[in-house]
Amino acid sequence: MPTSGGNARLTVTTRRRLLKIFAIVVMVVYTAITLFPFYALFIRSFVPTKESADLHLWLPETEEVSMDAQVGNLSVFYDLDLGVLKDALGVPRTEFFMARTTLRQIAEQYDIPEQEIKDFFAGFYTYNGWKTLLTGKLYGTSFWGALLRTLIVTGVSLTLLIFLSILTGYGLAGLRRRYQMVVFNTYLLQMVIPAMLILLPQFMMIQWFYKLIPAYADEGVVRTVLQLFSIVLINIKGTALSVMIFTAAIGAIPKEIEDSAMIDGASSWQYIRHILIPLLKVPIVSLIVIMLPLIFNQFLEPYVYLDPKNSTLLPFTQSAVGQFSTNFQVIYAAIVASVVPIVLVYLLFRRFFVEGVMSGAVKG
Amino acid sequence: MQAAPVQAAGETHSDARHPAKGKKKKMSKTERRRIRRDLAFIAPQFILFVTLTIIPFFVAIPFLFTDISQFNDPQINPVGLRNFTAVFTDSSVQADYFPALRRTLVFVVLNYLTVYIFGLSLALLLYEVGFQGGFFTIVYLPLMVSGLAVGYIAVMLFSRETGTANLLLLELGILKEPIDIFSAEGTAFILPLLVGWRYAGYNMAIFLAGLLAIPKETIESAIVDGASYWQRLWRVYFPQMIPSFILATTMCLIGSFAVFDELVAMGALYVNPEAKLLSVLFFTYGFQVERLGMGMTLAVITFLPLVLVGVALQRLQRRLQY
Repeated sequence: MPTSGGNARLTVTTRRRLLKIFAIVVMVVYTAITLFPFYALFIRSFVPTKESADLHLWLPETEEVSMDAQVGNLSVFYDLDLGVLKDALGVPRTEFFMARTTLRQIAEQYDIPEQEIKDFFAGFYTYNGWKTLLTGKLYGTSFWGALLRTLIVTGVSLTLLIFLSILTGYGLAGLRRRYQMVVFNTYLLQMVIPAMLILLPQFMMIQWFYKLIPAYADEGVVRTVLQLFSIVLINIKGTALSVMIFTAAIGAIPKEIEDSAMIDGASSWQYIRHILIPLLKVPIVSLIVIMLPLIFNQFLEPYVYLDPKNSTLLPFTQSAVGQFSTNFQVIYAAIVASVVPIVLVYLLFRRFFVEGVMSGAVKG
Repeated sequence: MQAAPVQAAGETHSDARHPAKGKKKKMSKTERRRIRRDLAFIAPQFILFVTLTIIPFFVAIPFLFTDISQFNDPQINPVGLRNFTAVFTDSSVQADYFPALRRTLVFVVLNYLTVYIFGLSLALLLYEVGFQGGFFTIVYLPLMVSGLAVGYIAVMLFSRETGTANLLLLELGILKEPIDIFSAEGTAFILPLLVGWRYAGYNMAIFLAGLLAIPKETIESAIVDGASYWQRLWRVYFPQMIPSFILATTMCLIGSFAVFDELVAMGALYVNPEAKLLSVLFFTYGFQVERLGMGMTLAVITFLPLVLVGVALQRLQRRLQY
């Protein structure tokens, strides 16, 4: 602005400065609002259920279990396994504890030193949620099993999706524009067809198909693998995005490269494997950072398709919530645990995420 | 909201690989072989896509005219158009469908507002002060977290007795009465805020891409001509961002009708009837109350117009873009 006078320039700089301050305030407030729920969630996974109506902004101190606590309450609200308690205290399993029996009465009745009971319950109120989640079993699976299945499904899905999408992109880039648009428009439908619309018939179709495989009817490895595979199939069917990214990227590669590879006697496979894939690092990273959270956080399809004992992380979390409805610690621990892996990956590779998302968005 | 903020890019290169194809010549043998090979490469994923996305739609059609109750129903009777007319005649369906429809529409409107409140204003802010990678990381963070977890976080924050945010706001004296997420108003307002917050990074990326695509000259000449920020916004930025607006609208519309995970977390399947939106209704009809045929019919008559609107919006957006 060459013509502006001294006065006007001052207001421009002042305005710039005000804008900057305003922007910083907005960013700080927004950051605080965004991070607070995660912080609160983490804290709440340690807050004893009986104190959940009190405000806790910091990890609660570990508290000794009261000798007047009733075993019934402990088992209902804290998921205390009475069998484990009896074993730890040397009480025969055949003995019967009434729900209203207090710990003190147990100590007196079986002549157990109170200290021994207190030791058994050390850290019980604070860490019980995490302990139950990480060591317990639910509907025939543990947290670790669910996590493992999620990682397998995510890894296999992403690998196959990238591979198939590269093939699609390679094929499409060579077609004439008219045919390209037919295929491309079909994939565009994916953006406007909600999963809910096709969920019921899709489930029906896959059930029909699996009925043809006799081993599917029995509980076993075949059933587990097939169920997980159906989730993979849904994930790798391709999206408007995957087709778009790879067709654009492959179309931008000079044709001479392919021609020279062909003249040197390379087959299409060799061309894809040795020349195309190394050239496509950027779109591959883009696709991974966009699809990874969608696949890792998939809930609806696994919830419908998988038996509880084969469930992935989110259906497992959901059934944990149903099972431990009164034990807030386990519930919040399960939610923290379902969030941590993906957030860790995100923070470690945030550069790729920001670049991938923005490069994806810039193409529009 | 399945795909990412990209739209119609696969066209720029078009016929670059086939320079000699303009005239209607007979295809050479190598040419034909080449096309056959290209089709073979497209086929695996395309067949999978069509089988799992398009065909289910047609598989469903015969069942819309039956009373199929669950997935392995041994006896399926044709009932004609009863499922379709049930919306007008069957009071039990009406009692389920219309409240859910009302809640969904309220949610769509409020959620559409959050697209602009969060996405657009953050994008404008970042555009003015320069792109901030760190802040982008924070804004995009909730999208990494599952809808289920976000829903449970909302319940943790806004439960009547035990919500952390409730307790904090009461302690600070900002609230007089705790917010109850399980009440009608609580669900209606917290849900869109939650979804808007979760998708803020996504919408921001869409709008930011639209802003960055505006030629710098138009903005600079507007500044030289002395246009205020407000004038620039309405006369320079927004008219050139229309494709971004349409994309955000499409994604918000489809996404709002398909929202499910957050609702499950807010107790829609069991304890909180106020969170029963249409998607939950279809799910319950299919898997819980044994009215599969009715559920599919309701899904089709609700979503089909929506899909058509979505396709129209996509076409409009592409026409404006090129």
